[in-house]
Parts: sequence; C-alpha cells; structure tokens
Amino acid sequence: MTLPRVRTARLGWGLIRFRKGRYAINALIWASMWLMPVIPAVITRTFFDAATGDRTDAPTVPMLIALVVAYAIGRISVMIFGMWNDAHLMFRISTLLRRNMLERIFDLPGAQAMKESPGDAISRFRDDVDENVESFAWTVDMLGIVLFSTVAVWMLVSINALFTLAVFGPTVVVVWIAAVSRQRIKRYREAAREATGKITEALGETFGSVQAVKVAGTERSMVAHFRRLNDHRRTVAVKDKVLTSALESLFWNTISIGTGIILIIAASAMRAGTFTVGDFALFVYFLGFVTDAVFFLGLFIARYQQASVSFARMVTLMGDVDPTELVRHRDLHLTGELPEPDVVPPHLAPLEMLSVRGLTFHYPGSSDGIDDVTFDVPAGSFTVITGRVGSGKTTLLRAILGLVGSEVGTVSWNGEVVDDPATFFIPPRSAYTPQVPKLFSMSLLENLLMGRHDPGDHVAEAVAAAVMTPDVAEMPQGLDTMVGPMGVRLSGGQIQRSATARMFVRRPDLLVFDDVSSALDVETERILWERLFRDRSEVTSLVVSHRHPALQRADQIVVMAEGRVAAVGRLDDLMKTSPEFRALWEGNGDG
Amino acid sequence: MIPVRAYWRLLNRYLRPLRARVIVLAVLLFTGIAFQVLNPQLIRRFIDRAQQGAELGELLTLAVWFMVLAVGYQLLNVTATYFAEQVGWTATNEMRARLAEHLLDLDMSFHKTKTPGELIERIDGDVTTLSNFFSAFVIHIIGNGLLVLSIVALMWREHWIIGLAMTGFASLAMYGMIRLQAIAIPWWREVRAKRASFFGFLGEQLGGTEDIKANGAVPYMMHRFTLLHREWLPLEVRGRFGFSLLWATSIAVYVFGLGLVFGLGSVLLHDGAVTIGSVYLVFYYTDMIRHPIDQIRTQMEDLQKAGAGIARVQELFNATTQLPETGEAFLPSGPLAVDFDRVDFSYRDEQSDGEIVLENLTLHITEGRVLGVLGRTGSGKSTMARLLTRLYDPVDGTLHIGGIDLRDVDRADRRARIGMVTQEVQLFRATVRENVTFFDDTVPEDRIWSVLFELGMGDWVSSLPLGLDAMLESGSGGLSAGQAQLLAFARIFLKDPGLVILDEASSRLDPATEMLIERAVSRLLADRTGVIIAHRLATVERADDVLILERGRIVEFGPRELLAADPASRFSALLRTGMEELLA
Repeated sequence: MTLPRVRTARLGWGLIRFRKGRYAINALIWASMWLMPVIPAVITRTFFDAATGDRTDAPTVPMLIALVVAYAIGRISVMIFGMWNDAHLMFRISTLLRRNMLERIFDLPGAQAMKESPGDAISRFRDDVDENVESFAWTVDMLGIVLFSTVAVWMLVSINALFTLAVFGPTVVVVWIAAVSRQRIKRYREAAREATGKITEALGETFGSVQAVKVAGTERSMVAHFRRLNDHRRTVAVKDKVLTSALESLFWNTISIGTGIILIIAASAMRAGTFTVGDFALFVYFLGFVTDAVFFLGLFIARYQQASVSFARMVTLMGDVDPTELVRHRDLHLTGELPEPDVVPPHLAPLEMLSVRGLTFHYPGSSDGIDDVTFDVPAGSFTVITGRVGSGKTTLLRAILGLVGSEVGTVSWNGEVVDDPATFFIPPRSAYTPQVPKLFSMSLLENLLMGRHDPGDHVAEAVAAAVMTPDVAEMPQGLDTMVGPMGVRLSGGQIQRSATARMFVRRPDLLVFDDVSSALDVETERILWERLFRDRSEVTSLVVSHRHPALQRADQIVVMAEGRVAAVGRLDDLMKTSPEFRALWEGNGDG
Repeated sequence: MIPVRAYWRLLNRYLRPLRARVIVLAVLLFTGIAFQVLNPQLIRRFIDRAQQGAELGELLTLAVWFMVLAVGYQLLNVTATYFAEQVGWTATNEMRARLAEHLLDLDMSFHKTKTPGELIERIDGDVTTLSNFFSAFVIHIIGNGLLVLSIVALMWREHWIIGLAMTGFASLAMYGMIRLQAIAIPWWREVRAKRASFFGFLGEQLGGTEDIKANGAVPYMMHRFTLLHREWLPLEVRGRFGFSLLWATSIAVYVFGLGLVFGLGSVLLHDGAVTIGSVYLVFYYTDMIRHPIDQIRTQMEDLQKAGAGIARVQELFNATTQLPETGEAFLPSGPLAVDFDRVDFSYRDEQSDGEIVLENLTLHITEGRVLGVLGRTGSGKSTMARLLTRLYDPVDGTLHIGGIDLRDVDRADRRARIGMVTQEVQLFRATVRENVTFFDDTVPEDRIWSVLFELGMGDWVSSLPLGLDAMLESGSGGLSAGQAQLLAFARIFLKDPGLVILDEASSRLDPATEMLIERAVSRLLADRTGVIIAHRLATVERADDVLILERGRIVEFGPRELLAADPASRFSALLRTGMEELLA
C-alpha cells in the first residue's frame, strides 16, 4: 500500500493549537518535571564533598535530608497535577481526530465511503489515533529537555569543560544513528500496522457473518486463516520491536560508555585530588539524565516518523481530502451543556419535478455502472425502476441520491440543478431504504427516530404504514425493545419494515425504496403499497422492484439494461413495445 | 490485588510449548543481571584505589573492564528482547486463535448481544495488552525484580546495617506499589469496557453510512458519538490518576533511599566501618535500584491494563454455549427425514424470557420430499430453519433428523449433511476461492470449478484476471446481489447434504437471474429432503408439501396439490390472492 505524504509537523501544530491553554500548562509542568532533578544532583554532590572533606562549609546531613524530602513533596504535587491536565488534553486530541475522521466519512458518498473494510477502518480509529496521541504527548517534553540540558551542561562545564566535551561526544553519534534508522523504523511500523488492520478486518468479517460460518461448519478453517494472519503480524511486529530495542540500547550504551570515559580521563585528576568524588557523582548522575534527554529526543525522532505513518493512514481513510481536515478545530462538547443535534433544515421547495439528465457513473476500476440515464419523476407519481441483476438499478438510485459520486449528468429538483446531491437529498426532501437496510444497536424507537422528535403520532403512523404494528405489539418491550447489534434480534422482514418505517417517520416529499419487498411476503407487500396509496397519495415514490404489484401500480416504469435505460412507459405500453420488459414480466411467474 | 494466580495459569498454559525459547530467554536475562550488578563494584574499587593513589595503569584497566561489561549487557538486552517478543507474540497468537475459536463455538444467543466491533476489541485489543504483559512481565517484572534482589544481597556484603536498611527499603517500596496497583486496576477495566463499547458503535456506523446519510441522521449519530465520549472522559482521567499514584510512590522511594545513604553513609564513614568507595557504591546502587523499580512501576501500567484484559478475556473463555456439542451419532446417508415433536421455542437472553416463537410444533417430513413453508415474517419460519441447523435447540420437545435427535449428532457430520442458504450473503474481503470454501484450502480446485460452472458462474469467474484468486470486496461491494446469492449456493454445493434449507433464498433476484439458479436448485433438491422457506408463492411451486405458519403455530399442513385443490384451504385462498394480483 502506498500512503500519501503528509506534513506531520503541520498537522501536529494544528493539534497543539487546538487546546492552547492546556498545552501551555502541560509544557510548563513537564518542563519543570525535567528540570527538577538538578536539585538532588546538587545535594548529592555536596554530601560527597563534605564526606571526603573537600568541602567544609556544607549544610549538616539532617538539613540535606530535609531538603530532599521537600523536593519529593514538590515533585509529586506537580506530577499529579500534570497527569490530570495531560489526561484531559490527550483525550480531547484523540476525540478531535476520531470526530474529524467520522465526520469526513459521513461526508463521503455514502455507498462508497471507504475503500477499507470496517475492521481495518476501526484499527485506524483505534491504533493510529493512540499512536499519534502518544507522539503528540511527547512534544511537551521537548521544552523541558532543552532547559534541563542547558542547566546541566553549564554546571558540568564549570567543573571541567574538557571532560564535559569528552563525555558528550558519544551522544551526538547516537542522535546521528537514530536519524539514519528513521526510514527503516517507518517501514516496519507501517507493515506492523497493516498486519493489524488485516487481523481486525478478518475478525470483523468473521463475527459479522457468524451464523453463515456456523451453518457451513467452517469455524476451524476460519480460525486457521486467522492464525496465518497472526503469524504474519508476529514476524513484522518482532522486527519492529527489536529494532526499537536496539535503538534504545544504543542510547543506554552512551551512558555506560560515557561513565567509562569519565573513569579513564578522570583517573589522574582523581589521584591528584583535582576531581573530587562529589564531582564524579555529579557527572555520573547528570550523564544519566542528559542521556535520558538525548535518548528521549532520539525516540521522539523515531516516533515522529511513526506518527507520520499514522497520520497518513488516517488521512487515507478520509478519502481525497486536504490533510489538515484531520486536525480541523471544532467544539467537542465533552463538558458543559450538550446541544441537541442539528434540527432539520427548513423545507423551502416542495417537489414538483425531479429530473435526471444524462446521469453516468462507473465503480472505480470496473465497467459496472450506469450510462447516460435520463427520465423525469413528476410530483405525486409512482415510478418503478426495474431490470435484471446487474442492470444498474441500485447504482442509479445511489447516483441520484449522491451516495456514489456521478461523473457526468445532472439531477434537478423543480428544474434547478442539485450541486451536492448528498447533502440535498435528505429529509424532509427525500428518504431512502437501501436494499439491505442497516439498523443500529439501540432501541427500535431510537432506530426509527434517529434523533428526530416525534411531534405526536408520527411514529405510530409510520409503524402502521410499514405494516409493523402487529410485530411491535408482540415485542416484549414494544418500541423500546433493543434490536441488538445491526438489528440481529429482528427477522429480515422486520428489519426491512423497520427501515421503511424509519423513512416514513421523516415524512419526506420523495420516498426512495431499493427493492423494499425483497424480504416481505406477498400479503405484507400488498398491504404496504395499498396503505401508501391510500394515506400518502401526495407523496412521490421512486422504487426499485420487479414485482407485479409494484409494476401494476406504476405511473411510469424505467426499464434498465446493462446500465442504460432500455425503455420508459406504463405497463401496457411496455408489454407491447419492450421485449426486455416482457421477458422480465414473464420470468416473474405468479409472484 | 493482582490476580497473580490467574497470570500464572495463563503463563503456564501458553508458555509450556515454548519451553526452549523461554530457557534461552532466562539465561540471557540472568547473565545480563550479573553484568549489571558487577559493574558498580568496579567503580567502588576504582574510587578507593584512586583515593589510595594507585597506579594509573590499574585504574585504566578497571575503567576498560567497566565499558566491556556495559556494552556486553546491552547486546544481551537486545537479544533478550528478540526472544521475549517472539515468545510473547507466539503465546498470545495462540490465545487469540483459541479465543476466536471458542467464541465461534458459542451459540447465536451470545452473538446476538455482541457487536463484531466489540469482539475485535476483546480478541485483538485485550489480548494485545496481554502480549505486552508477556514481554513486560518476563523482561521487566521478573528481570528487574531479580536485579533488585541481587542489589540488596550485595548491600549486605558492604555492611549488615546497610543490608538491613536496604532490604526494608526495597520491600516497603514493592509492597506499596502492589497495593496501589490493586486500587487502579478496576479503574482501567472500566476504561477498557468503555473503549470496547465505543468501537462497537463505530463499527456499526462505518457499516451503515448509506442508511445514515440518506435519512439525514448524521447529526444524530455525531451526537451519540459525543455522548459516548462524555461518558468516557471521566473514566480516562480516573485511570490516569491511578497511574500517577504509582509514579508518586516511585519518587518517594527514590528520596527515601537517598536519605538512607546520607544518614547511614555519614555515620558509618565517621566510624570508619566503610570506605568512601563503599558509600559511593551504596549511592550508586540506590540510584541504580531506582531504574528497575521505575521499570517495574512503568510496566505496572501495562500490567494494570493486562489485569483488566485478563479478567475480560477470562470472562469470554468462561462463557459457555447453551448448545453443548457432545453428539457422536452419524446421520444416515441419502435424504433425511425430519420430525418435529411438540417443539416449543423462544429466544431467551439476559434481557427477556422471549415471546413464544414456535408453539407445540409437530411435523413430519418424509425423506426426499420438499416442504414449502409459508407465513408472515415473524411467524416462526426463519426460526424453524435455525432449529434445523441447530443454531438453537428447542426449548421443549424434540427434533429428530434421519431418526436421530439432532442434539446427539456429531457436529462435523451435521454440518456436512445439513445445508442452508440464507437471504443475507456475507462475503469476505478475500479471494473467490476463499469465499466459496470459507478459507478451507483442502477443497480441490476442479471441484470448485465444476460447482461454479454448474451454477452458471464459471464464465464470470474465469473472466476475472486472477480467476479463483481474484479478490472480492467485503460486504457485497464488488458483486451484485444475484452474484452474491449464487456464491452462497456454491458454498452449499461443495457439500453433499441430505437436507437442504433454502431460507428466502431466491428473494432479491430479478426473474432472469432467478431462472438461472432455478435449474441449480432443482439439481440440489433432487434426492434430498428440502425445506423452502418462502415469501412468494412461486417459490413453493416445487414443493411436495406445504406448511403455513402463523404466530408459531401450524395453521395448515399437507400435500401441496391436495391443498391447492381444496377451495376451503388457506393455501388455495393465498393462491387466489396471488392470481388477483396477476389479473388486476
């Protein structure tokens, strides 16, 4: 997989500015956390110099102990406050990233929103966000590292400039090596993330179709497949971890080598007494912290690379978009008053005529799609789209509603061309039931309303119109029954009719059904159409169907064949003029 | 408390097969520890000898040895990481696979309550924290624990008072951390549970964009997104507070140690009981002991998460199926008779006892006959199919197939001999071959081809650039509903079932495509018992018998032709409604 290039620093900067105040506090606190260890360092040096008699004006031992205790209390208080602030800041940053991704996915054409499977997408919402927030958290340490290093180096140079230089030499080498290893880490990290994406994808699909797997009795081979994916991830993850560990070891080695260098170059000075045990203690102590700082810096560089992988993966998920959309600032409403979801936009222009002109769309990398489709849907009419499997019926509906992006052609509402059908074709203008409707893990009522307020009896009416009333009456908690993940607690027909009711609740001008009858029996379907004609005669319907009851009622039938309109007309005309339609009609037997 | 025993049981079960690698790992760790604790002894000697004015050559030799040991330790450390990661991933991969297998074996009443997203978070998310646990525990907790012990032991060598003080100091430090950890684990558990439910929500959203967008529900879904995060934030903050408690202990421990060195060091030095080199050594060790204790403390965070993960994974492992697979009987060859005997059924779960879906159902299907089942949605038709495939067991009464109680039939045999095609066709983002065989790579290629050609799909598949190895999109993205349906038929054609259930199988196909598979269905039903669960009268035309269900009860059952000829029957009434539609 090739990932787009993203400017990590720019996106990181966008995140920093998101909660400036908290970020500034965080930077301040963690800077002081880095700086604080200078205090025990000085105290320790004083202790040793006093013990060897190199210093006579030192405070007493109980004084030194009291100072150390005071230091501990201060450090702990600052740390706890810092952690609290950090938790709040990081949570907001991750929420922002997830929110921006989800919003953007909802902006994409609904029926081709993501190239990634849901499982892989979840891994980007989960692991890549975590990865990035971790790297982001580390940026606040940078200020502290610079401050601490400055103070430490100044103190060391004042003891012995030559020794200081000799000790710090190796650390430069370390940073250089880290820089060289950057590319490699990036590659391994990418591979490891991708392997994880494949695993979550496989799990998602397996448990999404658990009934089919069970009936087919293929649990064992599914698990074997899962094992193979896991093995692959192990290989790449181990490479990633070992490389990271080797880098860490390099950093730690600089401490040891640095200490060794101090021992070697200080040997004669210590014999001569010009370099005290206290000086030695201070050098070794600081060496640890300074190398810590360099180590951190090096890891940060490595992390920075990993973060850019994660940024790129998140941006890819969002489709073809300016990467800065990922860090776009917005109010998260995590505390304080929570505004109700946006109200439905006012309905300005009731439908008079929906016109489709030359509409063309093909799925990327495929010849499947629709070509040059033209027809009109007058208000109050019942238009049926029919055709063989693969003739483009569903694609046509999707293209009209903006659920796939159309290439050529226009859709007009009352003669005015709709620029962005995806945001235009929503209630109260139109509502839609896809071929395989999806419900969500909440109560039936919440599924029907999806955030709308029922101003009275809209729900009851919609449930009745969708021939759902007896079903609801028999449910243990009625409309409050939880439908389970993706509605699994309902039968296929109940899901279909719930989705139909969901559409009716919205009382749109234009009802769009994609083969609503596929999961309904003859009687139920007949009642559905009857009620629709009786109670909603003013409503406009655009329906994909091949069933006789629908075709017989149609004011207009659009016959699709191989992505093109083969014929348009009423049933009687088409029976006479369209052989394609006759074949479809007769093939339908007595259903 | 950390459930130490639960950790141990896990370690033992999954590490036993990796014994050799664990031993290598242990040797590397022990050697590394020896290198680490020996090194400061060189510094002590260096300081004492320098103070005594020893030869420069001797001092330099000590310094060089110091560097050799230090570099050697790092090399050991990287090698140990390699082994620890290998062991950790191998062990947790085994756990992931066993967990996935266990969950797949659980019955549908379990799966109805869990979203795939939630199971992903549990199988991969939770188990990955366990993977950190394996490597963290072995390298950091055991390794560093031993390091602390060796350091304390070497302190005794300096002076018994120092030894005693350090022993007390180290034990107190460890004890404090373990106590605090016990407080923080439940906090982390709640964070993880919240995470899991959020990702469950997210998975549904990503799968339902079409429904959400076209019905104008995007603002509402974003509202729910915010609500979930509002509940999550306080939990996250509290979880992090638990972590700061541990860090605070680590700071206190360090300062306590420094105080000890200052106090004891000055007194003993004054008495001449120890040298300045020894005091420096004690100082160096107390500073050094901070690193392993710090590491243990840091890893406690992983351990906390792992503790929560273990509890949740254990909970899943403990979930038992309500359909134990103990049967060992084999179904007779050829078509299979079906006998429902006073079967009652309701969907029961934690939420409700469930309404009665099937009531006192008694029915006999003679082998080789085809039964057409009619009824409104919710009449119990689909439930019949689920009982026949033993996705559920009857609540009361018995179901015999081929004369054997279905509960007594061997699982593999049952699945080989009873096939079902459902309306929902689930495709995997995998190759055509893997989709048809469900990743079973033992199915011979020519068998797959012959099935595909039999179904009229052969030309289409061979026109794909990679043929059987062409990738399909997940969901039903790349395929039309008809093609997906045909693939589902192919899955069942690969077996040789004696009972075939077609649950709404031919719906959503346009008539032209439907005719394509009509022939295939006829072939499939020849010499087999069939149960066709239909919404359309056309589908039951091939049935020998007809059953009409209403609210879980039989309202009519008999040979199709007899019922059709009887003007008083429901079936003939239904046929007339169908005709009316045709004539209208």
